[in-house]
Amino acid sequence: MDFNLSSEQKMLVETVRRFVENEMLPLEDEIEETGRLAPEKARALFEKSSANGMYAMNIPEEFGGGGLSAVDTMLVEEQFGHAKDILIRRAFGNVYEVLLKCDAAQRERWLVPAVRGERTCSIAITEPNAGSDAASIKTRAVADGKGGWKITGGKHFISDGEFSDFFVVSAVTDPNAGAKGISLFLVDKGTPGFIIGRDQKMMGLTGTSHVELAFDEVPVGPENLLGGEGQGFKLILETLGRVRLAQVCARAVGKSVRLLNLMISYAQERKQFGKPIGDFQLIQQMIADSVVEINASRLLVLDAANDIDNGVDARDKISMAKFYVAEVLGRVADRAVQVYGGMGYCADLPIERMYRDARIYRIFDGTSEIHRTVVARSAMKHGEALYGTI
Amino acid sequence: MKVLVPVKRVADYNIKVRPKSDGSGVELANVKMSMNPFDEIAVEEAVRLKEAGVATEVVAVSCGSAACQETLRTALAMGADRAILVETDVELQSLAVAKLVKVVAEKEGAQLVICGKQAIDDDANQTAQMLAALLDWGQATYASKVVVADGNVEVTREVDGGLETVRLALPAVVSADLRLNEPRYATLPNIMKAKKKPLDTLKAAEFGVDVSPRVQTLSVYTPPERKGGIKVGSVAELVQKLKDEARVL
Repeated sequence: MDFNLSSEQKMLVETVRRFVENEMLPLEDEIEETGRLAPEKARALFEKSSANGMYAMNIPEEFGGGGLSAVDTMLVEEQFGHAKDILIRRAFGNVYEVLLKCDAAQRERWLVPAVRGERTCSIAITEPNAGSDAASIKTRAVADGKGGWKITGGKHFISDGEFSDFFVVSAVTDPNAGAKGISLFLVDKGTPGFIIGRDQKMMGLTGTSHVELAFDEVPVGPENLLGGEGQGFKLILETLGRVRLAQVCARAVGKSVRLLNLMISYAQERKQFGKPIGDFQLIQQMIADSVVEINASRLLVLDAANDIDNGVDARDKISMAKFYVAEVLGRVADRAVQVYGGMGYCADLPIERMYRDARIYRIFDGTSEIHRTVVARSAMKHGEALYGTI
Repeated sequence: MKVLVPVKRVADYNIKVRPKSDGSGVELANVKMSMNPFDEIAVEEAVRLKEAGVATEVVAVSCGSAACQETLRTALAMGADRAILVETDVELQSLAVAKLVKVVAEKEGAQLVICGKQAIDDDANQTAQMLAALLDWGQATYASKVVVADGNVEVTREVDGGLETVRLALPAVVSADLRLNEPRYATLPNIMKAKKKPLDTLKAAEFGVDVSPRVQTLSVYTPPERKGGIKVGSVAELVQKLKDEARVL
């Protein structure tokens, strides 16, 4: 068992970190002030990262991606996590693994352009009445009798929906089959009857749009069906776990690291009562707890990723990582505000926005409560296999 | 034309270094190490010469412990074709490195050696000069522009009064200053390829040169913290304080 990073992994991590610090973090203040990432800056960022082979690193090389293993993906995703969501999307691409389920014709139209950064994809599963309970969606795809469907319904909180060119949409094709009656469709922006609604403003994640989508008898053909009829829920379970581990868990670790870096430097600089506040033990406790929790977080993430690379079902471990890592981020962000005191609460420094950004991590991609339920049920079913070494 | 680029593994420029508790040197245990930033500029320049079709091969060389392989892999990921580690656990000073690199430069038949102007750890700024002297090649230090043509290298140097341009016949030694170029990010494919590129290890002990240290470090300590200034009421008070307290008059 070797916990050391290989020289490639180190180089990869250092290169991505350098890119994030030099090219991305300087753009954050403007995004926070204006509420958006200027399109020309987004474009320049994309061009620079893709010239360095940093776009869609998670996708296999045969489709033009970087071909990173799950473990390596998590290592770079952690570094991405230092930056704001919108910057990560433009620089590195959120190319979802579910697109790997495309057939040959679909690949040319959706997967490959997404990997090249020519087209951007959003995942549209969440509905006002179907959040954690993704199988309870109401959006319907009714067979048109000619081999196609007409989609009717609505989605909300669809991340990056304003910018995206196409959407992976979940819809019920067989209302009598429960979760097995859900299918996924690739729906292009501009399809008749498909309306991108308003941007739902959020507490944090400034610069990333979260939109409502409306479908009014949107025509789709068999060429739009992803992975077979009734396969939707299974595909979601199969592929979104890795996305969750990367885009939520690994990035949350990166955010915690950035916050702790800031905390430590401030604890050494800020003087009260004639000495650096880092000399006070109550501050030291906050630092020590953060250090240990961050290291534990990363180990959970990498362990789950290692299972993915070995072809082992990692869903339980991803659930463990999801709520633990998200809650660690919440605690570290809270401590960072506390260590910075008034300056942590002041929007002049990144702490304030990171504190707001952190809150969603316990909610999106399955709440802490849902993931705890998954872990507890699995523990009662499998016992020590879930937490022991035997 | 073969270009040789010596690279040094140093404490990363981002970290705050501190002396060892016994004052024998700088604490390097558990410290992030990276390629000396000026050497990165040198690698970048060599790779650009290769991309421009001027250089045929770029060889990176590092002298030191096995850990320097990591630094060499970085050079390979940036675009160097090959790497050579001259391995030794002896503490190497500038003259020793110059002697070792001389052997490599001659063996490799390098026409141009591009060094970083200095390493950010000891700031010695002498390896390139010593190397040129030992090889008996021309040298151009503090380069901000390098143009190779017709068996010569034309180097714009950053000197106190402005810029000076010199022309040297090849082979030559050039040392890179900060403004020579902006080093690239290693690309993902190149990072992955770096491991497949050849990295040869030679033993410094077999070079037949004396690498023993010439300079002895007596002690390394943190400079005393600067005290806040005071305001004086009159010139007379100032003179009195300079005389009696600061003792500089």
